[in-house]
Amino acid sequence: MSSTQASRIALIGSPNSGKSLLFNRLTGLNQKVANFPGITVNIASGQSLHDSSIQYLDFPGVYSMQAISGEEKVAVEAFISALEDNLLDAVVCVVDSTRLEKGLIFALQVLETCHRYNKPVLIAANMVDVLDQHSMQFDASGLSEALKVSVLPLSAKTGAGLEQISQSLADTTVPPEKFQSDIIASDDSVNHLHAQELAEKYGPRGDLLINTQTRLDSFFLHSWFGGLSFLVIMYLLFQSIFTWAAPAMDGVEASIQWLASVVLPLIPAGVASDFTSDALFGGIGAFLVFVPQIFVLTLVVGMLEDSGYLARAAVICHKPLRFFGLTGKSFIPMLSGVACAIPGVYAARTVESTRKRWLTYLAIPLMPCSARLPVYSLIIAAFIPAQKAMGGLVGWQGLAMFAIYLFGILCALLVTALVSRSNAELRTDLPFVLEMPPYRLPSWRPLIINAWNRSKHFVTKAGKVIFAVTVVIWVLGYFPNYGTSLGDSWLGTMGQWIEPLFAPFGLDWRYGVAILSSFLAREVFVGTLGTMFGIEGAEENFTSLAQQIQDSGLPLGAGAALLVFFAIALQCVSTLAVLQRETGSWRLPLQLFISYSIFAYTAALAVFHLVELLV
Amino acid sequence: MTLWDLTQGASAKVSRFKSSIESGYRTRLSELGFHPGEQIACVMSPSMGAPKLYRVNNTVYSLDDSIASLIEVA
Ligand SMILES: Nc1nc2c(ncn2[C@@H]2O[C@H](COP(=O)(O)OP(=O)(O)OP(=O)(O)O)[C@@H](O)[C@H]2O)c(=O)[nH]1
Ligand SMILES: [Mg+2]
Repeated sequence: MSSTQASRIALIGSPNSGKSLLFNRLTGLNQKVANFPGITVNIASGQSLHDSSIQYLDFPGVYSMQAISGEEKVAVEAFISALEDNLLDAVVCVVDSTRLEKGLIFALQVLETCHRYNKPVLIAANMVDVLDQHSMQFDASGLSEALKVSVLPLSAKTGAGLEQISQSLADTTVPPEKFQSDIIASDDSVNHLHAQELAEKYGPRGDLLINTQTRLDSFFLHSWFGGLSFLVIMYLLFQSIFTWAAPAMDGVEASIQWLASVVLPLIPAGVASDFTSDALFGGIGAFLVFVPQIFVLTLVVGMLEDSGYLARAAVICHKPLRFFGLTGKSFIPMLSGVACAIPGVYAARTVESTRKRWLTYLAIPLMPCSARLPVYSLIIAAFIPAQKAMGGLVGWQGLAMFAIYLFGILCALLVTALVSRSNAELRTDLPFVLEMPPYRLPSWRPLIINAWNRSKHFVTKAGKVIFAVTVVIWVLGYFPNYGTSLGDSWLGTMGQWIEPLFAPFGLDWRYGVAILSSFLAREVFVGTLGTMFGIEGAEENFTSLAQQIQDSGLPLGAGAALLVFFAIALQCVSTLAVLQRETGSWRLPLQLFISYSIFAYTAALAVFHLVELLV
Repeated sequence: MTLWDLTQGASAKVSRFKSSIESGYRTRLSELGFHPGEQIACVMSPSMGAPKLYRVNNTVYSLDDSIASLIEVA
């Protein structure tokens, strides 16, 4: 490699050893960090903060060079081909110094590989802050002498030792051959014995870490408390979406109202003023109100991920999920799907079995993702009073949200249960082996940054689509009669054509248009509806969309049908595209799209009639 | 006796893998620390057949019956 080019340094290591946190420290970027093995699934690259000639690459974690899961294969193949093509200048192998033996088994394989490709290796012994806390030590220089490469103790969390990384990289060497032939035969057991010997000789002693972990495990995996705390945690997750986000949502709504009251009088009455009021404040504004909820949801899910609890939840769910044809490992992709189906689909790579992964793909689009949240909130706010029961402990709206979330999850399980039973091959189980990460207090900063980025992404990315759709809808709905009658506009005429499609469950053509537009992305629904109600409403004041829906006298059954329709239909172009990328063909996404549309429609119809019958 | 038969709090040494275990998994398990001669403790055995937690060195893994019953201990 020529020295004028940036030197490229790979960060590799076992899952959950802290590669991404180290990468973030070194580059100032925000790779997702979570206390669960297998979080990073793509290779990220970034320039060093301190030395612009260095570029770091963050690899997904692998236990071994002999990959067995999908994500591992991707990582190992990418690593080997980067070595083959001479794209790397050095390798940093990150090991968790509190679990030295496990890290060393992989590190020895890395040394062997890098020897073959003639690349220098630095062993970064991470998490020394935890050792310090327990006043434990390990012999880095002894280990370095034994391995014949530099070993740098550091903490990606506190930053200790990080300033020495450039120096250590410069000092370290290519692992020597003699050492290889002496000790590491490619026989795994020899490799393993060697790692054990090294860890015993140079590693930290004692097992304080494990004791607290065991105490917490005996609570969270207890026959009664375990199941109960699981339900409580999941319930709080959904309540928090409403209760924590409510003040911020009110704030956003009030600011939009205020802004509208300031801006609108400045614009002379006419097309421009109507556009600002209907499309901008009505359409975009209606959607912005829900951004705080997305922030809170991402934050709470992130907190759970970083605490280490999720791995326990996977253990609790393994047996029940197996009944539905899935495995405990499907739990994490499915829970990620609660934030957004796209990371959920990526996370499904951690499910080693191809068949179980495929079944997990069927479940993910039915998980109640955050793009559904605006639609759910809107309908719930229009129909369910904001009262609280039991001294404010239970909010009816939160409860309704819990119910519709539960409905989505049950649909997902129903589908996988039926599909897995229809095919004997899909029923076969693969063994379940999952590392239990230690419990940690979540580190707030990265979580908040992540939630912030996600909300920003939501506003900018979804915002563009919503803006475009809103403008089109507004133009079609405003002309040719300048907003005097929505029903006679171009949009209204088109609406008459599709009305028969949605009339069976009590929705008029305006909802039909909004539903069709939401096949691009679900959140578009709110913007589209907001624009149409904006054109219709003559009043200058900005009233909340939920209020307007309430005033329009939409029947309860139709509201419930809408909820059910959105819970099931796969209205998300990005999810389809990601599924195509992960499975390598359009077959699965198309099958899912068609069957879930039919399923959604039938279920909505059934619910409409059921509610109308009961009420 | 297999690993799955270990009761909570008990520990034992791995003696061998049953022959029906897939070779990829055998390799992986030994890389994780489950290899003949190693002392394994069952730290948690949740009820209702949930995967059990086993401790190897300073790391805890959870294994379900389908795999833990293929590891013989003594
Ligand atoms: N106490 C402490 N925690 C750390 C340190 N480095 C990482 N962590 C935590 O360890 C967990 C895993 O960190 P990640 O950076 O996501 O690990 P990773 O190696 O990228 O994991 P994968 O992408 O799943 O392979 C997170 O909860 C981090 O906050 C450290 O030096 N000290
Ligand atoms: Mg990572």
